[in-house]
Amino acid sequence: MSEESTTLQAPGRKVPYFSPVRVWTITMSTVTQLVRMKTFYFLLAFALLLLAVGNVTFASSPAQALSTLKKVSFGAIDLFAWLFAIVATALLIPRDIEDRTLYTILSKPVRRIEYLLGKLGGVLVVIAISLGVMFVVCSIMILWQQIGFIAGEQSPGRPKEEVEAAVALIQKNGFRLELAVAAYASFLKAAVVASVTILLSTFASSSLFTIIISILVFLVGHAHTMATNFWLAETDNSVAVQLVLKLFKIVIPNFQLFSFSEGIVQGAAFAPLVIWQITGVTLGYLIVFLFLSLLTFVDKEF
Amino acid sequence: MSENAVEVSHLTKVFRTGMGKNYVVAVDNLSFNVKAGEVYGLIGPNGSGKSTTMKVVLGLMAASKGSVKVFGLDSGDLRARNEIGFLPENPYFYKHLSGAETLKFYGKLCGLRGSELKDRIAELLKMVDLEDAAKRRLGGYSKGMLQRIGLAQSLIQNPRLVILDEPTAGVDPVGSRQIRDLILKLKEDGYTVFLCSHLLEQVQEVCDRVGIIFRGRMRREGRLDELIQIESQTAMTLENASPELLAKINELVKADGSAEVIEQGHPRTTLERLFIQIASRNQKEENS
Repeated sequence: MSEESTTLQAPGRKVPYFSPVRVWTITMSTVTQLVRMKTFYFLLAFALLLLAVGNVTFASSPAQALSTLKKVSFGAIDLFAWLFAIVATALLIPRDIEDRTLYTILSKPVRRIEYLLGKLGGVLVVIAISLGVMFVVCSIMILWQQIGFIAGEQSPGRPKEEVEAAVALIQKNGFRLELAVAAYASFLKAAVVASVTILLSTFASSSLFTIIISILVFLVGHAHTMATNFWLAETDNSVAVQLVLKLFKIVIPNFQLFSFSEGIVQGAAFAPLVIWQITGVTLGYLIVFLFLSLLTFVDKEF
Repeated sequence: MSENAVEVSHLTKVFRTGMGKNYVVAVDNLSFNVKAGEVYGLIGPNGSGKSTTMKVVLGLMAASKGSVKVFGLDSGDLRARNEIGFLPENPYFYKHLSGAETLKFYGKLCGLRGSELKDRIAELLKMVDLEDAAKRRLGGYSKGMLQRIGLAQSLIQNPRLVILDEPTAGVDPVGSRQIRDLILKLKEDGYTVFLCSHLLEQVQEVCDRVGIIFRGRMRREGRLDELIQIESQTAMTLENASPELLAKINELVKADGSAEVIEQGHPRTTLERLFIQIASRNQKEENS
């Protein structure tokens, strides 16, 4: 490709066809916007939730208490990630249109795909930071509880084998580094949800509509396998049905793919290859939904 | 021959309304040029197609028919947008950013970095007299201050063309005068200014040429001083003239030794009167 075709030369300053710097500028502006909207306040609520679950428990054993703490905290992390992805993404673009901020951005040498990528990037950076903080807080809480429970098992005169068995059970239900993979899976799921929401917000007329439809897509996406199996069983396998199912599979992401993280939280083993596979699937979804978003956004008139 | 900053040629913009075949012609076969270095005002009542024309020039909308070029480039071309600074009507920038941060954000989008960007921000803040409010968030800015930071934002990449959509809408008289002075300064500095407004007095004060648009069509266009002269009338400016001299003006002036003709030429109406006259005539035509 020639130099002329890759870089436009306006008098005084080059205007590249695609600029990662412009994307990053919009990303960081979005991060600042979300931070200054005090979105991180929910972290405080998360910390309080963990403290409550950690100190007020009806569990019959230390292992069960740790298991409950993990389930609640990682459930909260997952809930935060996808809900934040939907709400933040659904608010950002319509607000820019409504406030005409978009006019001033797009009247600069900024491509629409750069704008979309920047906005999505901003939401994902905030989610990543939040998940990181929540994971660290959660890990500290679990470890703190775990240490306390282990110390409680060390009563004098108790048989060594019994103590070792109890400690092993606590450790099995306590903190494991693999829990980071569960948080990562929540992040990937949030990324897909955000990309779906970006697509909806490019043609939706209101943020509320975008939020409702995005939540609907998210819920349907959790019943992906069940829904397709149901349709295949209930109807004939004609070409039309197959096409509809294929379209459904593309339009509605399969969020069940990310549910392996629940097993990790419960202490189940997983193959490291799954991480790469799920990352690849997520990238695939992001590319498809961003492409579809661009198709509707590129010719949108403001 | 001076270069054209904007060339609008047979521009037509049609909007579909609803699900049927109903449509609205917002701009109808509109043609005009904005010459480099001049201040051009596009005036018209609300809904006349001014903002739509501007959006097509900015590449925010595509033309249904016709073409729009900015310094010879198609208005959809990214390079064209590097030549344009735009101040929308009632600009709402990110309220969470300060004045300086806003300029930094837009500067970065235009490819400015480091000391070049820093110096440009300082220069523009000084120009729009917002140095003291540079670190204050835009949420606390007055309407006039927002317009001024908006103007600074539009100039961040030092574009050759500045497009202003109702630059003084909702601004108090003092703020309005500041904006007017800034537009005159832009002209002095060699910028091309294309503005849309219905504040005719201001347009008359700053514009070299104007186009009057009504229902998407250009009704009159030309140099302001030519447009506002009344061809059918002749004015004489007399000094020390008595009422008798006014009654038999030409003969008496020539015959009277004490009276002196200071100026004789075409008296001018105001742009406001001309605009209202054209608008009401077109309204009558539409109604009949």
